[in-house]
Parts: sequence; structure tokens; C-alpha cells
Amino acid sequence: MNARLRLGLACLALPAAAALAAPLLSALLGLDPAEPDLFNRFAPPSAANPLGTDDLGRDVLLRLAYGARVSLAVGLATALAATLIGTAIGLFAAWAGGVADAVLMRVADALLALPALPLLVILAGLDPAVVGLPRGEPIADMIRIVAILAAFGWVGVARLARAQALSTLARDHVRAARALGVSEARLVLRHVLPALSGPVSVATALAVAGAVLAESTLSFLGLGIAPPAPSWGNMLAGAQEAVFEAPQAALWPGLCIMLAVAGATLVADGLRRG
Amino acid sequence: MIGLIASRLAQIGLTLAALSFAAFLLIGLMPGDPIALAIAGDPRLSAEDAARLRALHGLDTPILQRYLAWAASVLSGEFGHSRLFARPVAELLWPALGSTLLLLGVAVLLSAAFGLLLGALAAARPGARALVDATAILAASAPTFWIGILLIILFAVLLGWLPAGGQSEAGGLDAVRFLVLPVATLAIAGLASWARHAASALTEALSSPWIVTARARGASLRRVLWGHALPNAAPPLVTLAALDAGALVGGALVTETVFARPGMGKLLYDAVMGSDLNLALVALLLIGAVTMAATLSADLALRAIDPRLRDAP
Amino acid sequence: MIRAILAVLLLALPAAAQPRETLTIGITQYPATFHPNIESMAAKSYILGFVRRPLTLHGQDWHLACGICETLPTLENGLAVLETTPDGRPGIRVTWRIREGLRWGDGTPVTAEDLRFAWEAGRAFETGFGPAEFYRRAYEFLSSHPREATLRFDRVTFEYASAGDFQPLPAHLERAIWEADRRAYRSRTRYETDTTNPGLWNGPWRIAAVQPGAGVTLEPNPHWNGPAPAFRRIRVLTVENTPALEAQLLSGQIDMIAGELGLPLEQALALQRRAGERFRFHFQPGLIYEHIDLNLDNPILADRRVRQALILSADRAQIVSRLFDGRQPVAHSNVNPLDGVHDANVRQWPFDPARARALLEEAGWRQGPDGIRRNAAGERLVLDFMTTAGNRSREQVQQVLAAGWRQAGIEVRIRNEPPRVFFSETLSRRRYGGLAMFAWISSPESVPRSTLHSDEIPTPERNWSGQNYTGFRHPRMDELLERLPETLRREDRLPLWREVQAIYAEELPAIPLWFRADAHVWPLWLEGVRPTGHLNPSSLWAEEWRPRR
Repeated sequence: MNARLRLGLACLALPAAAALAAPLLSALLGLDPAEPDLFNRFAPPSAANPLGTDDLGRDVLLRLAYGARVSLAVGLATALAATLIGTAIGLFAAWAGGVADAVLMRVADALLALPALPLLVILAGLDPAVVGLPRGEPIADMIRIVAILAAFGWVGVARLARAQALSTLARDHVRAARALGVSEARLVLRHVLPALSGPVSVATALAVAGAVLAESTLSFLGLGIAPPAPSWGNMLAGAQEAVFEAPQAALWPGLCIMLAVAGATLVADGLRRG
Repeated sequence: MIGLIASRLAQIGLTLAALSFAAFLLIGLMPGDPIALAIAGDPRLSAEDAARLRALHGLDTPILQRYLAWAASVLSGEFGHSRLFARPVAELLWPALGSTLLLLGVAVLLSAAFGLLLGALAAARPGARALVDATAILAASAPTFWIGILLIILFAVLLGWLPAGGQSEAGGLDAVRFLVLPVATLAIAGLASWARHAASALTEALSSPWIVTARARGASLRRVLWGHALPNAAPPLVTLAALDAGALVGGALVTETVFARPGMGKLLYDAVMGSDLNLALVALLLIGAVTMAATLSADLALRAIDPRLRDAP
Repeated sequence: MIRAILAVLLLALPAAAQPRETLTIGITQYPATFHPNIESMAAKSYILGFVRRPLTLHGQDWHLACGICETLPTLENGLAVLETTPDGRPGIRVTWRIREGLRWGDGTPVTAEDLRFAWEAGRAFETGFGPAEFYRRAYEFLSSHPREATLRFDRVTFEYASAGDFQPLPAHLERAIWEADRRAYRSRTRYETDTTNPGLWNGPWRIAAVQPGAGVTLEPNPHWNGPAPAFRRIRVLTVENTPALEAQLLSGQIDMIAGELGLPLEQALALQRRAGERFRFHFQPGLIYEHIDLNLDNPILADRRVRQALILSADRAQIVSRLFDGRQPVAHSNVNPLDGVHDANVRQWPFDPARARALLEEAGWRQGPDGIRRNAAGERLVLDFMTTAGNRSREQVQQVLAAGWRQAGIEVRIRNEPPRVFFSETLSRRRYGGLAMFAWISSPESVPRSTLHSDEIPTPERNWSGQNYTGFRHPRMDELLERLPETLRREDRLPLWREVQAIYAEELPAIPLWFRADAHVWPLWLEGVRPTGHLNPSSLWAEEWRPRR
């Protein structure tokens, strides 16, 4: 484990711990993250509210912790989905070769070449009811965002997985195994897949970073996680209107995003070098 | 070479066609057509008014038929009308594209220049490497709109030096004032990847045997760095520029929204939010086409710089 | 490189203070069209207020007055005459005479021909003007004098003197285009293709330049014969993002923010606390009625006691005082206190949680173990609560209300949607399950037929038109709403209005919240802006705006 990996994990540990401990923190402070207190709006940091309160008098620290749950969940779920899809496609393309490989990689090229955010804006404006999801439910929001982010996120994983799989398939011991009549399924699962773990884990860590950033951007544009559920992205969007009144409200969620994204990036770096 | 360009152009055309169809379906399926909105906004619209307006806007025909009609008119160069701005789409697109390209162009130049400087610093002075890395990671981890908001607080509100947003009407030097903060926002966001890639490419180039030899013969670090290592490190950096085109366009969209700067990104966002199907589609296609053209030209530039690639397929 | 940065920073020094000949106004919306009769939206009516004048309008005292007409038609002065239509129904003919010397910006006089063209274009429904009701009723156009137009209507209402959106269109520029292709007129009109043509405008200013999506520049109309405007140039800039709008105000790029399309009240209040001495603030309570529609098809809400319990456990006064600094008057019915027909004695529901609890008990909702009430069948008292996503003020209010109702044992689930979806589908097709918070905009003494008459409940058969989203059915209310428009004498209408408000406050098809206040922010050196609070924007009197000497 190298220094970058350690530093990255440390950066991620803080929001992760906050996310896990959010109910505990709530009990400790004796506050409810959803309970407005109109007599205590934009309060400065104090013992009762370590980071002050927001526009409705809710504790900022507590909301950051609950926001971490949403933002990290979106990041991890997106990365997981992108990794599964990407690995499967990359592996299949490398193994099948020929037309299938060419078509899949052209699709990947096209997705990479397209500007992602404008497309995300269009996708995020879609009606979840069309695919049978309830509108306005936080969980439906999360599923929707994970789905559209994963739809773009798999490409990076797939390219790395394919490259690694191709080189593994060309190795002598794999070719020998094939010549000995080992079944194709066994060949792929036993020999090729394990070799992918290195590059794929790097891609997964990068996907986490990308997803956390993308979620915050979509929420800022009003297309992400909708209030009252807190996410770092929508806390920032909400704080933006009061940015002159209470700048710290715009500061903390931004710092949290930066910490988590930098953490995931460092982990990817560390894995690449380690 | 010509064959390559032709096949890439064909690929771009195919992608755009697929994109337009997918986007047309998706936007067309969005709830809230213009007439429904008008009914909600104006109590005096009666049932007959609604049916009449719907027929007038051609909203009562099947979506596939509408797509084909739309595609035919776009192919014949007729981009149609924006419902939101009540203006021919073409009239809106070109100024917006110009504004965005200006923003992107200056931002890319600045981030490339500063990124190269930082990268060279890291490569030449191993002690500075950690600092450059940290800067790059932080710059890449901050959401673009957050950088924009922080810059607005600092330079527009606290110091009052620069406008917080909008676009100059006077033009000339005044326009530059409006460009500074958005460009800075985008440049900071783009700086990171340049710095990191320049650092690794230059470090690698500096450790290649013939540069080590040159150094041993007494060539100065500066001369070796800019004269030999940089040209050698150019291909991966140009590739990077090409790969970044999509992300940059996304950054421009957010930046334009934060700074209320009319441009392609804001136009597209407004069009989607205002369910202006026609404008959203044409804007999306244009953004896609420009991005892919940028990637293609970077590829071609790469082949021109790097002789090894010139004859590759 | 360092030198380059310095150069950039030097360029960035603040621009010299602008001469007071120019007034730069910030608004938050860009008009979708400049054609006066196509689509109605606030940004358009604000900008057109400077450059066009309607026949009749509501004045700052909320009474109907002449815009460019000479005398308001009444039965007494003979400009309005009751008559019988050719097919034997009661009808009325109304005559408006255009003010002497009024000219389009190219010097052509404004005449009855311009009104005739507007009437013909409106009557031809393929032209695509918005509401056609006025034109359906105005079945004949007569003119016996170049400046005089008479319309014959086949229905008599007390609003007969109001020309509404009917206003002159420059026939000398527009008629040929319309006649060439009526269907394409909407996009070929000079208002879209040649917006800066002076002949399109008859107000004190004309549109001199347009930056699509960003703003318009106005210059004085040389042929305007009213009081001369004090500014050589007015720029109206659109900045949708309100923090950016505020920042532009603070950095001096814009001089004022128009309250009609300005900062959310809360943001304006915060700005006033920080920069109160740099600007003049004016909070104008207006006709925008914030309320929560209750879906009466929901069995829970069909019970009037539950509706009353909801309003009794909503601390509206506290929200107004804490979130809006007490600037928005709490509403007790759908009629604005500034409206002449408002009844000050209408039932006012206080904040009374104890009574709310008693009502809920009476309705069979008993306290459950998790704090949420349950009925005899064991169903929890849960309601969906929707509003427009992205409207921060509404989302705040929603969360405070939800917390209050939870105290009373009512769980509301917040499910918000983007305005586009919310208004065009969920509301107008009545697909909301419980509560829907939004606002109505009306005009003074506007009969709430479309929101309260049982014939106006949207259904697929009616093509989803109508705005009775609550599904309110009340025979007496229907009768009142039918009688009101036909009651010509104001004294006779007042008792009807009182009864409308009494039924509304008792039955509570919706929870009245408050009437929204517009936040106007003006530079200290500007005087003469008089906001109205209704749909006729302050720009209609912009020639009175003056820089202070």
C-alpha cells in the first residue's frame, strides 16, 4: 500500500464515517436533519451547531453527514454498475473479436467523443414515470441518476478491460490452455478475468470520482437529487442563492465534494502505481 | 490519409444521425408539450383553443412522422424555428457558438500553458512534484460551478473588480472584462489534467537515453526540456486535448449557466428546460459535431507531429 | 506569462460610472415572443409596457382606466350601448376612441384600421393568437371615424369596458404579411423578424436592439406625444440566475431589478440587510395568490374537517414573519385585500393545533404509535405534497409546513416535480394525490370561474382545459360564478363576492397561504417608479421615471 493509496483512503474514510455515523451524530447533537427551526436560521458555528445552520435553521454538519450517504451511495452505485457493464462488455469484445468487437468499440468511441453533460441534461429532464418509476421519490431520483451516469461510465472501464483481456488472451499459458481443450467459459473466468482486476479497480475508483462530481453538477442544475433529501450537490445548489448571506453554506458541501473526489482519484493513482 | 478522414467523417455522420433520433424520441417523450404549458399558464384558453393550437404546432401527428419531417428539413439546411426565443434557430446558434468557442479557446490555451509550466516544473524539480500533483488533484476534484461561485464571491462581490456575469454589449476591451472569470473557471478546471499529463510525459522524456546523453554533453536543463523533451512529449498531450473535448464542452455548459453567459451550453440548457424541442436538438447536434470535429482534428494533428503514426491505418 | 496576467487584471478595473442618461434594468426571464397577441408571459408584458400602450388597463389604484383610449366606455356616457344580437340574444356595443396624435414609431398615426386588423387576425383562428374567447364574442367591427372603433359582443359582462389584450397592431406593416399566409404569420410577423422596426411600437420608447436570450435596448420613440421620457436609453437585461442577478446589481452592471420579475423575496430581504443603504427597496404586495390545492377526490381530503385541521395546524403567520419578514399578507381567501371586492370580515383561520387535533379525532383519525394518526381501518394519515422543484422559497415553506403537520399527526410526503411537468401534466390532469402548492395570477375583480366552477374540472373530454384542479363542486358557488359576470352594477356584485369568499373560506377547496410581494430594488437616484402589484407592470408608466436631481 503506497502513500497515495493511504492518503486517498483517508480522504474517503472521513465522509464514509460521517455517512455511517449520521444517525449517531443526530442523536448526539439532539437534532433532526429534516426539522426546520425558523428561529435559528443562518446561525454561526456554535457548540450546538458545530458548522452553523442553513436557510431553514437545520444543522449544517448533520446535513453534510446525511448528504454524504446520498452522494457516496450515488458514487459507489454508479461505479459498481459501470464496472459490471464495462467489464462484461470489454471482456466480451476481446474474447469475441471480429465484428462484435468492432461494433462495440465504435459505440464506445462514439460515446467518448460525445459531450456527456449536454446529454445528461437531456436525459435528466426525462420523466421517470415513463419507465414506471415514481416521480419525486429520493430513491427514484438516485436510481435515475445512477442509471444515466452508468450509461456513460462503462466506456472507460470497457476499454481498459478489453485491452488487458486482449493481452492476456495472447499470452502463452492461455493459448496453451486453449490448445489443451479447456472450455471457453473456464478459460475466461479462470485466466482472463483475474488479470483484469488491476486495471478495472483503477477504473472503478475513477468512476466513483466522476460520479460524485457529476451528481453534484446535475443537482446544481436542478436535475439531480431533489430536496428535502440532502445531497452535497443540492445543498450547494440551495446555498447558492444565499451565497452572500451565508457563504459558509456554499463552502462546506463544496469542500466535501472535493475531499471525496480527490480521495477516489488518489486511490486510483495509488492502485495504478501499486 | 484521405481514406482515413473519409471513414472518420462517415462515422461522425452516423453517430450524429443516431444521436438525433435518440434525442428526438427522448425529448418528444418528455412530459409537458408547449400547449399543455400554455393551458396551465392562461386560464382563458378553452378546450377548442388547445386543440386548435396543437394542430397548428403539428403536435397531433405521430412522433416518427415528426422526426422524419424534421430530419428532412434539417438536411436541406432549414433549421426551423425556436419556440422559446421565437427566432430562426440558425440566428441563435451562430452567435452562441462563437461565444462558446471564444470561451473554450482562451480557456484551453491558458490551461495548456499553465499546465505545461506546472508539468515542466514537476519534471525538472522532483521536489516540486508533490506540490504540483496536489494542486492538480485539487483542481480536478472541485466542481466547476463551485469554482465559479467562489470566483464570483471573491472578484465580483468582495473586490468588485469584475462583472459577475452576462456579456458585454460594448465589445472590444469591455468584452474582455466579462470573459475573465468564466475563462478562469474553465481554465482551472482544465488545468489539472494538463499538469498531470505534462508532468508524466516530460518526466518520461527527460529520462530517455538520448536526452540523458544530451545532458551529459552539457546541454542546459532548460534547453533540453523545451527543445527536446517537449516535442517528444507532444503526442500524448495532443491526444489528451482531443479526449478532453467532451469534458470541456460540459464545463462550458456549467460555466455559462453560473455566469449567465449566452452560449451553446446555456442555449441547450434553456431549450431543454423550456421544452423547445427544435432548438435543443439542433444545439445538441451542433455541440456533438463540433466536439467530434475537434477530436478528429487532434487525431490528424497527432499524425502530422508523430511520423510513426503517419502510415498507420 | 506573468505580464499577460497583469494585463488581463488591468483591463478588469471597474468601468467608469455610467451617465444617468441610461437606465439598466435586470429581469429574470426573456420573452418568448415580442408579438403582443401571441402567448402571454410576464417578461413580454414588462418590456412591451415601455414600447406599446394598450387600449385600456388597470391603474395603480387597481381600477380600470384608459391606456390610449380617450374615455372609458360606460352605459352612462353612451359609449357602451345594450342591444340585441342578430340572433336575438342580449348583446352590447362598445366604442373606444384612440387618443389624438398617437403615432407609431415611424410616424404613421395609430388608427381604427390598426384595431380592425387586430380584430380580423384574432377572429381568424388559424393565426394562432392565444385565448380566442374575446374574438369569438366580438362578432362585428364598426368604425365611423378614423380614430374610433366599435365592437359588438354577443355577451354582456360587467367587464365590457375592458379591451383586455385587444390592442392595435400596425396594419401598415403587418396586414400584408398576415394576408399572404395566415398560418405562418406567427413566425413571419415583423415582431419576430424585424423587431427593431420603429413602426411596430407606439409607446414612449421603441425597441432599438435585441440580443436574443440576453436582453433588449430601448430608445425614445420620436413620435410619442405624451410626457417625454427622461432616459435616452433603457436596457432590459435578462439574468435567470438570481444570485448572478444580485451580483450584477452589486457590481453596478445593472441599476435596478424590476420587482415584477425580480429576486425571490427572501433573497431581496437578505440583500436589503446587507446593502440597504445603497439601494431603495420597495415590497409591493400583489395579486399572486400562493395556496395549496387539495385534491378533493382523495377520500381523506374529501372530509372538510381534515381540510380545516390542515389549515389550523399550519402556522402561516409565523412562516410569513420568519421567512418573509412579514412582507406578504396572509391570505384568508382567494380575493386579495387590495381588491375592491375583498371582504374584510371573511372567516380567518388562526394557528390552533389543539383545535386541529380535536377535528382530526372527530373525523376518526386517532394518534398512532409512530406519532402519525390512523383511522378505524388502521390506515395511516399520509398525504402527498407536491410543488415546483427548484423553487427554493416554496421548497422551504413546504418543509416547514410538513414539520408542523407531523406535529399534528399528519405525515406528508414531499414529491416535487419540475414546473414543466408539474403544471402541464400533474396539475392540469389532476394527477396529484393530495396537496399541490402553487400560485394563481389574476387581475383585479377577476371572477374565479375557471378555478371554482364545477364545469371547469379538467377531464380528457374537455381536452384537459379548465383549472378547477381540486375538483370542487358546490352548486351555490356555481350559481354565484354564473351570476357575477352578468351583474353590471358594482353595488349588486358586492354581496355576491362576499358569499364567494365565505364559501371558499368555509369549504377550503384550497389552503390559502399568502399574497406574494414583489421586491423592487431601485437605485437611490431614481424616482417615479410606481408598482401596481397586478398584471399591468410598472413599465406602463415608465415615462414618469426620473433621475433625482
